[in-house]
Amino acid sequence: MAFLALRDVTVEFPIYQGSSRSLKKAIVASSTGGNLARDALDRVQVRALDGLTLDIADGDRVGLIGPNGSGKTTLLKVLGGVYEPSRGQMLSSGRVSSLLDVSLGLNPEATGRENIVLRGMYMGIRPRDMRPRIEDVAAFTELGPYLDMPVRTYSAGMMIRLAFATSTCIPPDVLLMDEWLAAGDAHFLEKAQRRMEDFVRRSSIMVLASHSMDLLKRWCNKGVYIRHGKLIAYEAIDAVIAIYQEQRQR
Amino acid sequence: MSVVASPPPDEIAPAAAERRARAARYARARADLAEGLRAAWLWQALAAQDVRLRYRRSMLGPLWLTLSTAVMVAAMGFLYARLFGMDAHAYIPFLSTGLIVWQFISGIVAEGCQTFLDVQSIIQQTKIPYSAHAYRSVYRNILVLAHNMIIVPAVFGILGQPVGWRVLAMLPGVAVLCVNGVWMSLLVGMASARFRDIPPIVANVLQLLFFVTPVFWKPESLGRWRTVAEYNPLFAAIDVVRAPLLDQTPAPHSWPILAGLTVGGGAVAFVLFARFRSRIAYWV
Repeated sequence: MAFLALRDVTVEFPIYQGSSRSLKKAIVASSTGGNLARDALDRVQVRALDGLTLDIADGDRVGLIGPNGSGKTTLLKVLGGVYEPSRGQMLSSGRVSSLLDVSLGLNPEATGRENIVLRGMYMGIRPRDMRPRIEDVAAFTELGPYLDMPVRTYSAGMMIRLAFATSTCIPPDVLLMDEWLAAGDAHFLEKAQRRMEDFVRRSSIMVLASHSMDLLKRWCNKGVYIRHGKLIAYEAIDAVIAIYQEQRQR
Repeated sequence: MSVVASPPPDEIAPAAAERRARAARYARARADLAEGLRAAWLWQALAAQDVRLRYRRSMLGPLWLTLSTAVMVAAMGFLYARLFGMDAHAYIPFLSTGLIVWQFISGIVAEGCQTFLDVQSIIQQTKIPYSAHAYRSVYRNILVLAHNMIIVPAVFGILGQPVGWRVLAMLPGVAVLCVNGVWMSLLVGMASARFRDIPPIVANVLQLLFFVTPVFWKPESLGRWRTVAEYNPLFAAIDVVRAPLLDQTPAPHSWPILAGLTVGGGAVAFVLFARFRSRIAYWV
Protein backbone atom coordinates (compact mmCIF):
# COMPACT_ATOMS: atom_id res chain seq x y z
CA MET A 1 0.00 0.00 0.00
CA ALA A 2 1.44 3.30 -1.05
CA PHE A 3 0.80 6.43 0.93
CA LEU A 4 2.17 9.90 1.52
CA ALA A 5 1.67 11.70 4.80
CA LEU A 6 2.79 15.18 5.79
CA ARG A 7 2.62 16.27 9.41
CA ASP A 8 2.94 19.99 10.01
CA VAL A 9 5.65 20.26 7.37
CA THR A 10 7.51 23.53 7.06
CA VAL A 11 10.24 24.11 4.53
CA GLU A 12 12.46 27.13 4.82
CA PHE A 13 15.49 27.84 2.79
CA PRO A 14 18.03 30.57 2.64
CA ILE A 15 18.39 32.32 -0.68
CA TYR A 16 21.99 32.58 -1.71
CA GLN A 17 22.87 35.24 -4.15
CA GLY A 18 26.13 35.49 -5.96
CA SER A 19 27.68 37.59 -3.24
CA SER A 20 26.59 35.86 -0.04
CA ARG A 21 27.76 32.59 -1.51
CA SER A 22 31.35 33.66 -1.72
CA LEU A 23 33.84 32.65 0.88
CA LYS A 24 35.36 36.13 0.86
CA LYS A 25 32.20 37.63 2.16
CA ALA A 26 31.85 35.06 4.92
CA ILE A 27 35.44 35.60 6.04
CA VAL A 28 35.26 39.37 5.81
CA ALA A 29 32.02 39.24 7.75
CA SER A 30 33.46 37.11 10.50
CA SER A 31 36.54 39.27 10.89
CA THR A 32 34.98 42.70 10.75
CA GLY A 33 31.68 42.11 12.49
CA GLY A 34 29.29 45.01 12.45
CA ASN A 35 27.38 45.85 9.32
CA LEU A 36 28.98 43.38 7.01
CA ALA A 37 28.31 40.50 9.36
CA ARG A 38 24.68 41.33 9.44
CA ASP A 39 24.77 41.53 5.70
CA ALA A 40 26.21 38.06 5.27
CA LEU A 41 24.37 36.32 8.07
CA ASP A 42 20.99 38.02 7.74
CA ARG A 43 20.23 35.81 4.80
CA VAL A 44 16.86 36.09 3.18
CA GLN A 45 14.90 33.09 4.43
CA VAL A 46 12.06 31.92 2.26
CA ARG A 47 9.31 29.92 3.89
CA ALA A 48 8.14 27.87 0.94
CA LEU A 49 5.81 25.60 2.89
CA ASP A 50 4.15 26.57 6.12
CA GLY A 51 2.76 23.93 8.50
CA LEU A 52 1.30 21.62 5.87
CA THR A 53 -0.60 18.53 7.01
CA LEU A 54 -1.78 16.23 4.27
CA ASP A 55 -2.69 12.55 3.81
CA ILE A 56 -2.63 10.98 0.39
CA ALA A 57 -3.77 7.37 0.15
CA ASP A 58 -3.78 4.58 -2.42
CA GLY A 59 -5.86 5.42 -5.45
CA ASP A 60 -5.71 9.17 -4.96
CA ARG A 61 -5.16 11.34 -8.02
CA VAL A 62 -4.27 14.67 -6.52
CA GLY A 63 -4.18 17.90 -8.48
CA LEU A 64 -2.00 20.66 -7.04
CA ILE A 65 -3.41 24.12 -7.59
CA GLY A 66 -1.97 27.47 -6.66
CA PRO A 67 -0.65 30.68 -8.17
CA ASN A 68 2.98 30.94 -9.27
CA GLY A 69 5.36 30.77 -6.34
CA SER A 70 2.81 29.27 -4.00
CA GLY A 71 5.00 26.27 -3.20
CA LYS A 72 3.68 23.64 -5.61
CA THR A 73 7.09 22.55 -6.85
CA THR A 74 8.55 22.64 -3.34
CA LEU A 75 5.72 20.41 -2.17
CA LEU A 76 6.43 17.96 -5.00
CA LYS A 77 10.08 17.94 -3.99
CA VAL A 78 9.24 17.25 -0.37
CA LEU A 79 6.94 14.40 -1.43
CA GLY A 80 9.71 13.03 -3.62
CA GLY A 81 12.17 13.11 -0.72
CA VAL A 82 14.43 15.69 -2.37
CA TYR A 83 13.89 18.37 0.27
CA GLU A 84 13.82 17.38 3.90
CA PRO A 85 11.34 19.41 5.93
CA SER A 86 12.97 21.94 8.24
CA ARG A 87 10.15 21.19 10.69
CA GLY A 88 7.50 18.50 10.88
CA GLN A 89 7.65 15.10 9.28
CA MET A 90 7.07 13.32 6.00
CA LEU A 91 6.20 9.64 5.86
CA SER A 92 5.89 7.66 2.68
CA SER A 93 5.75 4.16 1.37
CA GLY A 94 6.22 2.87 -2.16
CA ARG A 95 8.64 3.65 -4.98
CA VAL A 96 8.35 7.31 -5.84
CA SER A 97 9.13 8.60 -9.31
CA SER A 98 9.24 12.27 -10.22
CA LEU A 99 8.58 13.54 -13.71
CA LEU A 100 9.58 17.08 -12.87
CA ASP A 101 12.11 17.55 -15.62
CA VAL A 102 12.02 15.13 -18.52
CA SER A 103 15.68 15.61 -19.33
CA LEU A 104 16.82 14.29 -15.93
CA GLY A 105 20.06 12.41 -16.12
CA LEU A 106 20.38 12.50 -19.89
CA ASN A 107 24.02 12.42 -20.80
CA PRO A 108 24.59 14.20 -24.13
CA GLU A 109 27.68 12.15 -25.00
CA ALA A 110 26.02 8.76 -24.47
CA THR A 111 23.84 7.15 -27.12
CA GLY A 112 20.08 6.95 -26.93
CA ARG A 113 20.17 3.33 -25.85
CA GLU A 114 22.75 4.03 -23.14
CA ASN A 115 20.63 6.89 -21.88
CA ILE A 116 17.62 4.62 -21.54
CA VAL A 117 19.61 2.47 -19.11
CA LEU A 118 21.13 5.53 -17.45
CA ARG A 119 17.83 7.19 -16.76
CA GLY A 120 16.46 3.90 -15.49
CA MET A 121 19.29 3.80 -12.96
CA TYR A 122 18.41 7.25 -11.67
CA MET A 123 14.86 5.99 -11.24
CA GLY A 124 16.22 3.16 -9.11
CA ILE A 125 15.96 0.45 -11.76
CA ARG A 126 18.97 -1.80 -12.16
CA PRO A 127 20.44 -2.12 -15.67
CA ARG A 128 19.63 -5.84 -15.76
CA ASP A 129 15.96 -5.08 -15.09
CA MET A 130 15.99 -2.28 -17.64
CA ARG A 131 17.59 -4.19 -20.49
CA PRO A 132 14.53 -6.32 -21.35
CA ARG A 133 12.54 -3.11 -21.73
CA ILE A 134 14.94 -1.26 -24.00
CA GLU A 135 13.32 -2.54 -27.18
CA ASP A 136 9.88 -1.54 -25.96
CA VAL A 137 11.13 1.95 -25.18
CA ALA A 138 13.03 2.13 -28.46
CA ALA A 139 9.94 1.18 -30.44
CA PHE A 140 7.85 3.79 -28.70
CA THR A 141 10.28 6.63 -29.43
CA GLU A 142 10.30 5.79 -33.19
CA LEU A 143 13.83 7.13 -33.26
CA GLY A 144 15.16 4.12 -35.17
CA PRO A 145 18.84 4.41 -36.05
CA TYR A 146 19.21 7.60 -34.02
CA LEU A 147 19.12 5.47 -30.87
CA ASP A 148 22.71 4.48 -31.56
CA MET A 149 23.83 8.07 -31.95
CA PRO A 150 24.87 10.35 -29.09
CA VAL A 151 21.98 12.29 -27.60
CA ARG A 152 23.82 15.57 -28.25
CA THR A 153 22.86 15.20 -31.92
CA TYR A 154 19.15 15.03 -31.07
CA SER A 155 16.63 17.80 -31.59
CA ALA A 156 14.67 18.97 -28.55
CA GLY A 157 11.64 17.00 -29.65
CA MET A 158 13.65 13.81 -30.08
CA MET A 159 15.15 14.25 -26.64
CA ILE A 160 11.70 14.60 -25.09
CA ARG A 161 10.53 11.45 -26.89
CA LEU A 162 13.44 9.51 -25.47
CA ALA A 163 13.08 10.85 -21.96
CA PHE A 164 9.32 10.43 -21.90
CA ALA A 165 9.38 6.88 -23.20
CA THR A 166 12.05 5.88 -20.71
CA SER A 167 10.54 7.46 -17.65
CA THR A 168 7.13 5.95 -18.36
CA CYS A 169 8.28 2.40 -19.00
CA ILE A 170 7.91 1.17 -15.42
CA PRO A 171 5.04 2.59 -13.41
CA PRO A 172 6.05 3.67 -9.90
CA ASP A 173 3.83 3.39 -6.85
CA VAL A 174 3.82 7.14 -6.45
CA LEU A 175 4.01 9.40 -9.49
CA LEU A 176 4.85 13.10 -9.09
CA MET A 177 4.47 15.42 -12.06
CA ASP A 178 4.98 19.11 -12.63
CA GLU A 179 2.75 20.49 -15.39
CA TRP A 180 1.97 18.36 -18.35
CA LEU A 181 4.59 17.00 -20.63
CA ALA A 182 4.68 19.02 -23.79
CA ALA A 183 6.00 16.24 -25.90
CA GLY A 184 6.88 16.78 -29.54
CA ASP A 185 4.59 16.86 -32.55
CA ALA A 186 0.87 16.13 -32.72
CA HIS A 187 1.29 12.51 -33.68
CA PHE A 188 3.59 11.86 -30.76
CA LEU A 189 1.50 13.89 -28.39
CA GLU A 190 -1.48 11.66 -29.02
CA LYS A 191 0.60 8.56 -28.56
CA ALA A 192 2.13 9.99 -25.40
CA GLN A 193 -1.30 10.77 -24.06
CA ARG A 194 -2.36 7.16 -24.43
CA ARG A 195 0.79 5.86 -22.80
CA MET A 196 0.42 8.38 -20.02
CA GLU A 197 -3.13 7.27 -19.32
CA ASP A 198 -2.00 3.70 -19.01
CA PHE A 199 0.98 4.71 -16.90
CA VAL A 200 -1.10 6.79 -14.50
CA ARG A 201 -3.65 3.99 -14.22
CA ARG A 202 -0.99 1.54 -13.15
CA SER A 203 0.55 3.71 -10.42
CA SER A 204 -1.24 3.82 -7.11
CA ILE A 205 -0.85 7.52 -6.35
CA MET A 206 -0.42 10.50 -8.64
CA VAL A 207 0.24 14.09 -7.66
CA LEU A 208 0.10 16.53 -10.57
CA ALA A 209 0.80 20.24 -10.41
CA SER A 210 -0.80 22.21 -13.21
CA HIS A 211 -2.40 25.49 -14.14
CA SER A 212 -4.78 23.86 -16.59
CA MET A 213 -8.11 23.27 -14.87
CA ASP A 214 -9.36 21.09 -17.73
CA LEU A 215 -6.40 18.81 -17.30
CA LEU A 216 -6.83 18.61 -13.55
CA LYS A 217 -10.54 17.87 -13.86
CA ARG A 218 -9.84 15.13 -16.33
CA TRP A 219 -7.05 13.42 -14.42
CA CYS A 220 -7.60 14.02 -10.74
CA ASN A 221 -10.23 13.11 -8.19
CA LYS A 222 -8.85 15.27 -5.40
CA GLY A 223 -7.40 18.72 -5.29
CA VAL A 224 -4.93 20.53 -3.06
CA TYR A 225 -4.97 24.31 -3.14
CA ILE A 226 -1.97 26.01 -1.60
CA ARG A 227 -1.17 29.69 -1.40
CA HIS A 228 1.91 31.28 0.20
CA GLY A 229 2.93 27.79 1.30
CA LYS A 230 -0.23 27.26 3.30
CA LEU A 231 -2.91 24.67 2.69
CA ILE A 232 -6.14 26.44 1.74
CA ALA A 233 -8.27 23.48 0.68
CA TYR A 234 -7.98 19.71 0.27
CA GLU A 235 -11.10 17.99 -1.03
CA ALA A 236 -12.74 16.77 -4.24
CA ILE A 237 -11.15 18.35 -7.31
CA ASP A 238 -14.27 20.18 -8.50
CA ALA A 239 -14.79 21.79 -5.10
CA VAL A 240 -11.17 22.87 -4.87
CA ILE A 241 -11.22 24.37 -8.36
CA ALA A 242 -14.37 26.28 -7.43
CA ILE A 243 -12.69 27.71 -4.31
CA TYR A 244 -9.60 28.61 -6.29
CA GLN A 245 -11.50 30.40 -9.03
CA GLU A 246 -13.70 32.23 -6.58
CA GLN A 247 -10.65 33.49 -4.66
CA ARG A 248 -8.94 34.59 -7.84
CA GLN A 249 -11.90 36.66 -8.95
CA ARG A 250 -12.02 38.55 -5.70
CA MET B 1 8.62 2.63 4.25
CA SER B 2 10.76 5.68 4.61
CA VAL B 3 10.45 8.37 7.20
CA VAL B 4 11.92 11.81 6.82
CA ALA B 5 11.24 13.49 10.07
CA SER B 6 12.28 16.08 12.52
CA PRO B 7 10.60 15.59 15.88
CA PRO B 8 7.57 17.81 16.40
CA PRO B 9 8.59 20.88 18.37
CA ASP B 10 5.54 21.01 20.62
CA GLU B 11 5.71 20.57 24.36
CA ILE B 12 9.34 19.59 24.58
CA ALA B 13 11.82 21.71 26.43
CA PRO B 14 13.99 23.54 23.87
CA ALA B 15 17.19 21.84 25.02
CA ALA B 16 15.67 18.38 24.86
CA ALA B 17 14.12 19.14 21.49
CA GLU B 18 17.49 20.29 20.19
CA ARG B 19 19.09 17.08 21.47
CA ARG B 20 16.46 14.96 19.79
CA ALA B 21 16.80 16.84 16.54
CA ARG B 22 20.54 16.32 16.63
CA ALA B 23 20.19 12.59 17.33
CA ALA B 24 17.77 12.33 14.39
CA ARG B 25 20.25 14.13 12.12
CA TYR B 26 23.04 11.72 13.04
CA ALA B 27 20.76 8.74 12.47
CA ARG B 28 19.83 10.06 9.03
CA ALA B 29 23.47 10.68 8.13
CA ARG B 30 24.37 7.12 9.13
CA ALA B 31 21.43 5.77 7.15
CA ASP B 32 22.56 7.84 4.15
CA LEU B 33 26.06 6.36 4.24
CA ALA B 34 24.67 2.82 4.55
CA GLU B 35 22.02 3.22 1.85
CA GLY B 36 24.69 4.68 -0.40
CA LEU B 37 26.79 1.56 0.06
CA ARG B 38 23.81 -0.62 -0.80
CA ALA B 39 23.42 1.33 -4.06
CA ALA B 40 26.86 0.12 -5.15
CA TRP B 41 25.42 -1.10 -8.44
CA LEU B 42 24.40 2.48 -9.20
CA TRP B 43 27.61 4.36 -8.47
CA GLN B 44 29.83 1.66 -9.93
CA ALA B 45 27.91 1.77 -13.21
CA LEU B 46 27.87 5.58 -13.24
CA ALA B 47 31.60 5.83 -12.48
CA ALA B 48 32.44 3.31 -15.21
CA GLN B 49 30.36 5.33 -17.63
CA ASP B 50 32.10 8.56 -16.55
CA VAL B 51 35.46 7.07 -17.50
CA ARG B 52 34.15 5.63 -20.77
CA LEU B 53 32.43 8.83 -21.86
CA ARG B 54 35.38 11.04 -21.05
CA TYR B 55 37.31 9.35 -23.84
CA ARG B 56 34.38 8.38 -26.02
CA ARG B 57 35.48 9.75 -29.37
CA SER B 58 39.17 9.15 -28.97
CA MET B 59 40.99 6.23 -30.55
CA LEU B 60 42.78 5.01 -27.43
CA GLY B 61 39.85 5.57 -25.11
CA PRO B 62 40.66 5.35 -21.42
CA LEU B 63 44.15 4.14 -22.35
CA TRP B 64 44.92 7.83 -22.80
CA LEU B 65 45.10 7.91 -19.02
CA THR B 66 47.85 5.33 -19.14
CA LEU B 67 49.64 6.97 -22.01
CA SER B 68 49.70 10.48 -20.58
CA THR B 69 51.08 9.23 -17.28
CA ALA B 70 53.65 7.13 -19.14
CA VAL B 71 54.84 10.16 -21.11
CA MET B 72 55.13 12.18 -17.91
CA VAL B 73 57.10 9.41 -16.20
CA ALA B 74 59.48 9.09 -19.14
CA ALA B 75 60.06 12.83 -19.49
CA MET B 76 60.41 13.61 -15.80
CA GLY B 77 62.28 10.41 -15.05
CA PHE B 78 65.36 11.13 -17.10
CA LEU B 79 65.38 14.87 -16.44
CA TYR B 80 65.09 14.72 -12.68
CA ALA B 81 67.37 11.71 -12.32
CA ARG B 82 70.06 13.97 -13.82
CA LEU B 83 69.03 17.05 -11.83
CA PHE B 84 69.11 15.14 -8.58
CA GLY B 85 72.22 13.24 -9.63
CA MET B 86 70.49 9.91 -9.10
CA ASP B 87 70.68 6.61 -10.91
CA ALA B 88 67.77 6.45 -13.35
CA HIS B 89 67.28 2.75 -12.57
CA ALA B 90 66.54 3.60 -8.95
CA TYR B 91 64.78 6.89 -9.58
CA ILE B 92 62.28 5.99 -12.31
CA PRO B 93 60.45 3.27 -10.32
CA PHE B 94 60.26 5.69 -7.37
CA LEU B 95 58.94 8.48 -9.57
CA SER B 96 56.42 6.43 -11.52
CA THR B 97 54.83 4.85 -8.44
CA GLY B 98 54.82 8.17 -6.58
CA LEU B 99 53.25 9.97 -9.51
CA ILE B 100 50.53 7.37 -9.96
CA VAL B 101 49.55 7.45 -6.28
CA TRP B 102 49.68 11.24 -6.29
CA GLN B 103 47.34 11.38 -9.28
CA PHE B 104 44.96 9.07 -7.42
CA ILE B 105 44.93 11.28 -4.33
CA SER B 106 44.78 14.62 -6.12
CA GLY B 107 42.13 13.27 -8.48
CA ILE B 108 39.91 12.35 -5.56
CA VAL B 109 40.38 15.72 -3.89
CA ALA B 110 39.97 17.81 -7.06
CA GLU B 111 36.97 15.89 -8.37
CA GLY B 112 35.62 15.78 -4.82
CA CYS B 113 34.79 19.47 -5.25
CA GLN B 114 32.31 18.51 -7.96
CA THR B 115 30.78 15.62 -5.97
CA PHE B 116 27.45 17.41 -5.59
CA LEU B 117 27.77 20.27 -8.08
CA ASP B 118 28.07 17.94 -11.07
CA VAL B 119 24.88 16.09 -10.19
CA GLN B 120 22.87 19.17 -9.32
CA SER B 121 19.86 18.26 -11.47
CA ILE B 122 19.78 14.74 -10.07
CA ILE B 123 19.95 15.92 -6.46
CA GLN B 124 17.13 18.36 -7.18
CA GLN B 125 14.85 15.72 -8.61
CA THR B 126 15.37 12.27 -7.24
CA LYS B 127 16.11 10.85 -3.87
CA ILE B 128 19.49 9.18 -4.07
CA PRO B 129 21.64 8.93 -0.92
CA TYR B 130 24.11 11.83 -0.93
CA SER B 131 26.92 9.47 -0.03
CA ALA B 132 26.39 7.59 -3.31
CA HIS B 133 27.75 10.64 -5.19
CA ALA B 134 30.90 10.56 -3.06
CA TYR B 135 31.32 6.82 -3.58
CA ARG B 136 30.94 7.38 -7.32
CA SER B 137 33.70 9.97 -7.35
CA VAL B 138 36.10 7.75 -5.40
CA TYR B 139 35.26 4.69 -7.48
CA ARG B 140 35.90 6.64 -10.70
CA ASN B 141 39.37 7.45 -9.40
CA ILE B 142 39.96 3.81 -8.55
CA LEU B 143 39.22 2.98 -12.19
CA VAL B 144 41.68 5.66 -13.30
CA LEU B 145 44.25 4.24 -10.87
CA ALA B 146 43.73 0.79 -12.35
CA HIS B 147 44.55 2.17 -15.81
CA ASN B 148 47.63 3.94 -14.54
CA MET B 149 48.84 0.87 -12.67
CA ILE B 150 49.53 -0.78 -16.02
CA ILE B 151 52.62 1.42 -16.11
CA VAL B 152 54.16 -0.14 -13.01
CA PRO B 153 54.91 -3.62 -14.42
CA ALA B 154 55.90 -1.96 -17.71
CA VAL B 155 58.47 0.27 -16.02
CA PHE B 156 59.85 -2.57 -13.91
CA GLY B 157 59.95 -4.79 -16.98
CA ILE B 158 61.85 -2.25 -19.09
CA LEU B 159 64.35 -1.66 -16.29
CA GLY B 160 64.80 -5.42 -15.93
CA GLN B 161 63.54 -5.54 -12.37
CA PRO B 162 61.26 -8.37 -11.28
CA VAL B 163 57.61 -7.68 -10.55
CA GLY B 164 56.13 -10.21 -8.21
CA TRP B 165 53.10 -10.74 -6.08
CA ARG B 166 54.61 -8.25 -3.65
CA VAL B 167 52.74 -5.51 -5.50
CA LEU B 168 49.60 -6.85 -3.82
CA ALA B 169 51.05 -5.48 -0.57
CA MET B 170 49.89 -2.06 -1.74
CA LEU B 171 46.23 -3.06 -1.39
CA PRO B 172 45.80 -2.20 2.33
CA GLY B 173 47.20 1.25 1.59
CA VAL B 174 44.88 1.76 -1.37
CA ALA B 175 41.91 0.63 0.73
CA VAL B 176 42.70 3.15 3.49
CA LEU B 177 43.14 5.90 0.88
CA CYS B 178 39.67 5.08 -0.47
CA VAL B 179 38.14 5.46 3.00
CA ASN B 180 39.87 8.83 3.27
CA GLY B 181 38.67 9.66 -0.22
CA VAL B 182 35.06 9.23 0.84
CA TRP B 183 35.18 11.66 3.75
CA MET B 184 37.29 14.04 1.69
CA SER B 185 34.75 14.01 -1.14
CA LEU B 186 31.87 14.63 1.25
CA LEU B 187 33.75 17.45 2.94
CA VAL B 188 35.05 19.36 -0.08
CA GLY B 189 31.90 18.47 -1.98
CA MET B 190 29.71 20.18 0.61
CA ALA B 191 32.12 23.10 1.00
CA SER B 192 32.18 23.64 -2.77
CA ALA B 193 28.41 23.48 -3.02
CA ARG B 194 28.12 26.15 -0.35
CA PHE B 195 31.08 28.34 -1.31
CA ARG B 196 31.82 28.45 -5.00
CA ASP B 197 35.34 29.74 -4.39
CA ILE B 198 36.44 26.42 -2.97
CA PRO B 199 37.11 24.50 -6.23
CA PRO B 200 39.69 27.00 -7.60
CA ILE B 201 41.30 27.27 -4.16
CA VAL B 202 41.59 23.49 -3.93
CA ALA B 203 43.06 23.29 -7.44
CA ASN B 204 45.72 25.86 -6.54
CA VAL B 205 46.59 24.28 -3.22
CA LEU B 206 46.91 20.87 -4.85
CA GLN B 207 49.35 22.22 -7.39
CA LEU B 208 51.44 23.72 -4.62
CA LEU B 209 51.31 20.53 -2.58
CA PHE B 210 52.56 18.51 -5.52
CA PHE B 211 55.85 20.37 -5.34
CA VAL B 212 56.31 20.50 -1.57
CA THR B 213 55.34 16.86 -0.99
CA PRO B 214 57.96 14.19 -1.62
CA VAL B 215 56.29 12.87 -4.79
CA PHE B 216 59.17 13.20 -7.24
CA TRP B 217 61.92 13.89 -4.71
CA LYS B 218 62.98 11.82 -1.74
CA PRO B 219 62.62 13.07 1.82
CA GLU B 220 66.27 12.07 2.36
CA SER B 221 67.38 14.91 0.11
CA LEU B 222 66.29 17.38 2.80
CA GLY B 223 69.09 16.16 5.08
CA ARG B 224 68.33 16.99 8.67
CA TRP B 225 64.94 18.43 7.68
CA ARG B 226 63.75 15.12 6.32
CA THR B 227 61.38 14.50 9.23
CA VAL B 228 59.45 17.62 8.21
CA ALA B 229 58.69 15.97 4.89
CA GLU B 230 57.89 12.66 6.54
CA TYR B 231 55.30 14.24 8.82
CA ASN B 232 53.46 15.57 5.80
CA PRO B 233 50.18 13.58 5.80
CA LEU B 234 50.25 13.48 2.00
CA PHE B 235 53.66 11.84 2.11
CA ALA B 236 52.27 9.28 4.55
CA ALA B 237 49.38 8.62 2.19
CA ILE B 238 51.68 8.11 -0.78
CA ASP B 239 54.23 6.17 1.24
CA VAL B 240 51.88 3.39 2.37
CA VAL B 241 51.15 2.52 -1.26
CA ARG B 242 54.48 3.35 -2.85
CA ALA B 243 56.81 1.63 -0.38
CA PRO B 244 55.24 -1.84 -0.83
CA LEU B 245 55.41 -1.39 -4.62
CA LEU B 246 59.13 -0.69 -4.33
CA ASP B 247 59.58 -3.62 -1.95
CA GLN B 248 60.39 -1.30 0.93
CA THR B 249 58.84 -0.70 4.32
CA PRO B 250 56.91 2.55 4.77
CA ALA B 251 58.54 5.25 6.92
CA PRO B 252 57.88 4.65 10.64
CA HIS B 253 55.40 7.52 10.99
CA SER B 254 53.41 6.86 7.83
CA TRP B 255 50.82 4.38 9.09
CA PRO B 256 50.16 6.17 12.42
CA ILE B 257 49.74 9.53 10.63
CA LEU B 258 47.39 8.01 8.08
CA ALA B 259 45.39 6.23 10.79
CA GLY B 260 45.02 9.52 12.65
CA LEU B 261 43.96 11.24 9.44
CA THR B 262 41.37 8.57 8.72
CA VAL B 263 39.83 8.71 12.18
CA GLY B 264 40.11 12.47 12.71
CA GLY B 265 39.11 13.53 9.21
CA GLY B 266 36.36 10.96 9.11
CA ALA B 267 34.91 12.20 12.39
CA VAL B 268 35.00 15.87 11.37
CA ALA B 269 33.46 15.09 7.98
CA PHE B 270 30.75 12.95 9.55
CA VAL B 271 29.74 15.64 12.02
CA LEU B 272 29.54 18.25 9.26
CA PHE B 273 27.73 15.84 6.96
CA ALA B 274 25.11 15.17 9.64
CA ARG B 275 24.78 18.88 10.29
CA PHE B 276 24.46 20.09 6.71
CA ARG B 277 23.32 17.06 4.69
CA SER B 278 19.74 18.24 4.25
CA ARG B 279 21.02 21.63 3.05
CA ILE B 280 22.90 20.24 0.08
CA ALA B 281 19.74 20.15 -2.04
CA TYR B 282 19.34 23.91 -1.51
CA TRP B 283 23.00 24.72 -2.05
CA VAL B 284 23.58 23.11 -5.41
